[in-house]
Amino acid sequence: MEAFIDGLFLVLQWKAFSLMMVGMGLGFVVGLLPGIGGAATLALMIPFVFKMSPVEAFAFLLGMHSVAATTGDITSILFGVPGEGLSAATVVDGYPMAKRGEAGRALGAALMSSLVGALVGALTLALAIPIVRPLVLTFGSPELFMLSIIGIACITSLSGLSLRAQLRGFATGLLGLLLSTIGQERQSGSLRFDMGLMYLWEGLDLVPVLVGIFAIPELVDLAVRGTSIAGDKPAANLSSGVMEGIKDTFRHFWLVFRCSAIGVFVGIMPGAGGGVAQWMAYAHAVQSAKDTKEREGFGKGDVRGVLGPGAANNSKEGGDLIPTIAFGVPGSGAMAILLGAFMIMGLVPGPDMLTKHLTVTYSMVWTLAIANIITVLLSLAVLNHLAKLTNIRGGLIIPFVLLLVFVGSYTANNHIADLIVTFCFGLLGYIMVRLGWPRPPLVLGFVLGKLVETYLFISVSRYGFSWLSQPLVLLLIAVMVVVVVYPFVREKPAWAGGGD
Amino acid sequence: MHTKGNLLFSLFLIGVAGYAAFSASHWSFKTGFFPLVVAIPLIILTLVHLVLEFFGGTEKASGPAVEAEFTTEVAPEVARRRVIETFSWIAGFIVLVFLLGFPVAVPLFMISYLTMQSRIGWLQSMILTAGAWGFFYYVFQRLLNLQFEAGMIQTWMGW
Repeated sequence: MEAFIDGLFLVLQWKAFSLMMVGMGLGFVVGLLPGIGGAATLALMIPFVFKMSPVEAFAFLLGMHSVAATTGDITSILFGVPGEGLSAATVVDGYPMAKRGEAGRALGAALMSSLVGALVGALTLALAIPIVRPLVLTFGSPELFMLSIIGIACITSLSGLSLRAQLRGFATGLLGLLLSTIGQERQSGSLRFDMGLMYLWEGLDLVPVLVGIFAIPELVDLAVRGTSIAGDKPAANLSSGVMEGIKDTFRHFWLVFRCSAIGVFVGIMPGAGGGVAQWMAYAHAVQSAKDTKEREGFGKGDVRGVLGPGAANNSKEGGDLIPTIAFGVPGSGAMAILLGAFMIMGLVPGPDMLTKHLTVTYSMVWTLAIANIITVLLSLAVLNHLAKLTNIRGGLIIPFVLLLVFVGSYTANNHIADLIVTFCFGLLGYIMVRLGWPRPPLVLGFVLGKLVETYLFISVSRYGFSWLSQPLVLLLIAVMVVVVVYPFVREKPAWAGGGD
Repeated sequence: MHTKGNLLFSLFLIGVAGYAAFSASHWSFKTGFFPLVVAIPLIILTLVHLVLEFFGGTEKASGPAVEAEFTTEVAPEVARRRVIETFSWIAGFIVLVFLLGFPVAVPLFMISYLTMQSRIGWLQSMILTAGAWGFFYYVFQRLLNLQFEAGMIQTWMGW
């Protein structure tokens, strides 16, 4: 308890606090810019921490990283452009809310649920470090493989309740997995589907794919409509919903809490990453709908579709830090970079962080909590003005957003091909929406592809096919079947008479 | 229209997966195992979908799908023209970046789009273009220190 309090005082020291505020400022800007993720900014800022103390360095880096995750939701909601790779799930319901003139409500909901998620993540980090080791060690490659497949199944189950809709969902999920195999194969180093292009040796980057497939179709639709994002909704209505969005967080508090827990759990699992946490939370939010009528609102602007991903996005940060601090096993790319900061500071993740440097560990918990509280309070002050952006004529917004989209994509590899990939996936995304083929399974398949392949390969190499009969794997297979079948069973009357 | 589109999209998926499976079948186990494991079910699922699409009657109860919906309030001909226009502008921007690099392409694209497509006055267009270029320069080039390659024309000219 003493270390916990000491950790707070360390963060509140003027130098650490000032550096945290600087980091938060940078994180705020980076979060708003499409494609430039928190991980890339962490990498850019690592050289600046050499002369800082460990508490100052982590206040600076974690302040920046956690805020980028929060503000990424803002562009997702206002323009349908994922501010960060992680914020893509927020687009699905957040942008339709903006189109309906409820941008303020969506932003209020996203920020408040992010705050709740961050606090849940920080609290879990504080409580879980000593007890989480057995959980992580229970999950080997077969279990992690199954966990990834459950993630994809969750999203696929949202494709609709007919056989054909499910087939489309699974097919696009598989297409995502297939796209992830482009480039050098990690075990043997052989090239796959590179078409003789050196650009494809490293595989397709997530940012151009994600930004292209989500942002461009929305921009094209905005151009087709020829109106502002919020259409003909009066400006006064746009900003009045912020408080409503905050209230929504507490109206659906149990859902927000559950989605935060999903975020923490996914964060703890090595390699799964925030994108997975967001989509799983989104799927959970949809599946929590009581009936078909309630479910119909998702994808068309249901506030719960914003609350779930918002909470998971930020709670995942706390979860992510647990294996990083406790065992030196980074849960994501950003945490791998943070691990570099540990080394620079002369800290060794593991038992020392729970004994000798416990106050530093708790200072990280406090940084996560304080940085998010300040960000949400500051953001709430400007949300009303941000929401008014949705009332500006589309013809003025489109070139600016296109600029952000393509500069963001270009930062993936600094290569003109990044722009071509963005364009191609924009076209693919547009066709998919037109024809009713869901994009989320493709994105999740693509995000998880490399991990799924690695886990599958290790499982088969080590256990042959006997891993399929391991108890925990069987349990996870059962969970997957339930995830896929449950919506059908629950909605039987609605689809039993259907054409399929 | 949807059925024709679905047929073409399904054929596209089958083509992609078929190519992947064919290529993977010639690779070593380590390299080809995963693409095969993914491509074969993709072909099967898409074929089943295709069969249902043509012989399974109308899809009566797909239930709510969680996806975006495009506007239906604009006449199809107008919508089609605007879609082609927007994709052409995007392609044009990429060509500009390729030829001239981002720092030159950004103001050129902005002023062209605002005057020709958005049809706003020259003065307003120039002010907005200057704002966009200032944002691009200060945030991306100065603050974030992102490096943008010169365009092909500058490279050919040796500038």
